[in-house]
Amino acid sequence: MTERTIRSPWQVTWSVWKALFLREFMTRITQDRLAWFWMLFEPIAFIVIFVAIRTVILGSSRLIAGAEYVPWLLIGLLGFFLFRENMVRSIKAVEQTRNLFSYRQVKPIDPVLVRCFLEGWIKTFILAGFVAVGVLLGLGMFPEDFPLALFGWISLWLLGSGVALVVSVLAALVDEIGKIIQILSFPLLLISGVMFPLNFLPHDLTALLLINPILHGIELLRLGFFEAYQPVQGISTIYLWLWILGTLMLGLALHMRFELRLKAL
Amino acid sequence: MIELRHVWKRYHTFKASGWVLRDVDFVIPRNVSVGVIGRNGAGKSTLLRLIAAMDSPERGQVVRHCRVSWPIGLFSGLQPTMTGRQNAKFVARIHGDGASIAEVMAKVEQFADIGEAMDRPIKTYSSGMRARLNFGLSLAFDFDVYLSDEATAVGDAAFRNKASAAFKERVGKASLVMVSHQEGILKELCQAGVLIDQGHAYWFDDVNEALTAYGELTGPGNVTKAAH
Repeated sequence: MTERTIRSPWQVTWSVWKALFLREFMTRITQDRLAWFWMLFEPIAFIVIFVAIRTVILGSSRLIAGAEYVPWLLIGLLGFFLFRENMVRSIKAVEQTRNLFSYRQVKPIDPVLVRCFLEGWIKTFILAGFVAVGVLLGLGMFPEDFPLALFGWISLWLLGSGVALVVSVLAALVDEIGKIIQILSFPLLLISGVMFPLNFLPHDLTALLLINPILHGIELLRLGFFEAYQPVQGISTIYLWLWILGTLMLGLALHMRFELRLKAL
Repeated sequence: MIELRHVWKRYHTFKASGWVLRDVDFVIPRNVSVGVIGRNGAGKSTLLRLIAAMDSPERGQVVRHCRVSWPIGLFSGLQPTMTGRQNAKFVARIHGDGASIAEVMAKVEQFADIGEAMDRPIKTYSSGMRARLNFGLSLAFDFDVYLSDEATAVGDAAFRNKASAAFKERVGKASLVMVSHQEGILKELCQAGVLIDQGHAYWFDDVNEALTAYGELTGPGNVTKAAH
């Protein structure tokens, strides 16, 4: 017993993250078999529906300035799904890990961070897959400003993680909040400028929609993909990052404040 | 050595919840095994959670001068949808570096002795099998103090003998803090006793005295007295 060394807090945390990552990964591929299909099918279904709506109802008159409609829609959808999955997967993260709080090494924040990390990578692979197929089909899907596209993608990932940290605490403490957030995910899709360009809306309404940081992230991502694209007026990287830092700080603070309560629930 | 210094604990989960533990103050000396006894709901498991650092006291302090296991119970610590092996590997991973995982797994399999059930989900296990796995898992690590929360209650005779043998083998190296309602196993494995009643903890140097005191508290003549 003398050869035993005391691990530093960072070493303990690192081994917990590794163990949780493997566990979450296994759960995702073994118990959620439909998930892989759904991840690919959902964006495709949206595209089919919206292309149909656009051609049948609106006619082809309304064009996106500086971008093709299908790639524009696809990038917006994938960016939004990246945010949404981080947020939604975190709702049950604490509850589903409750059994593991028997081990004092595991803290309620660990499953949330690990899920966000895993979710981000899954979505990144999906994006890469769609971009590759798009390039092969000659849709002009490869990002024209690669660093900006990467920056937009990471921003949406971090925004999702920040919101996930906040949501994971609130939803664990108050059940109803988790349900409300799940219901909110569809209206958020509508107001985030994913499906139709917001440039056609009256100025007052656009100003209101610009409160939503997801819109800023998605427009930034699109700007990275299509250099000639005209984003909604008023997009601000600083505003987006204030939200990212704000939600991350708030989430970490909530986890510190309520750690014991989350464990004891 | 584990010190509990004026520990108070209550839960805020429900409205108007009173103190579960009031001013609990004792020291568990090195290599002394302790039996924790008390009525259902007296706060035995809460005490174990505090010692395991799963939870923090409202007031006071719990100081551990040694490596303490997680509370080995029937339902805690195992993920029902995952197999025994996956659960064991997870625990091995969070407790140490990659090199020792194979070693831990071999020890777990040997002690738990549940055969091919290792590869079945925990939800298909009987309570005895859970206890075997959880005990085997904790014994695979060199803790100084093992915490057992009724884990021995459901095991068969073979398992109990195995558990007793494992702890007798470790006398002088490791000790046990166990919550149990079985007098036999408490007398067999523990030297000292802690009786928990009305949120107060009473330390007895001899586990037999603790059991006697508990018997008086719950004896047929004292039912009304004990209820107050």
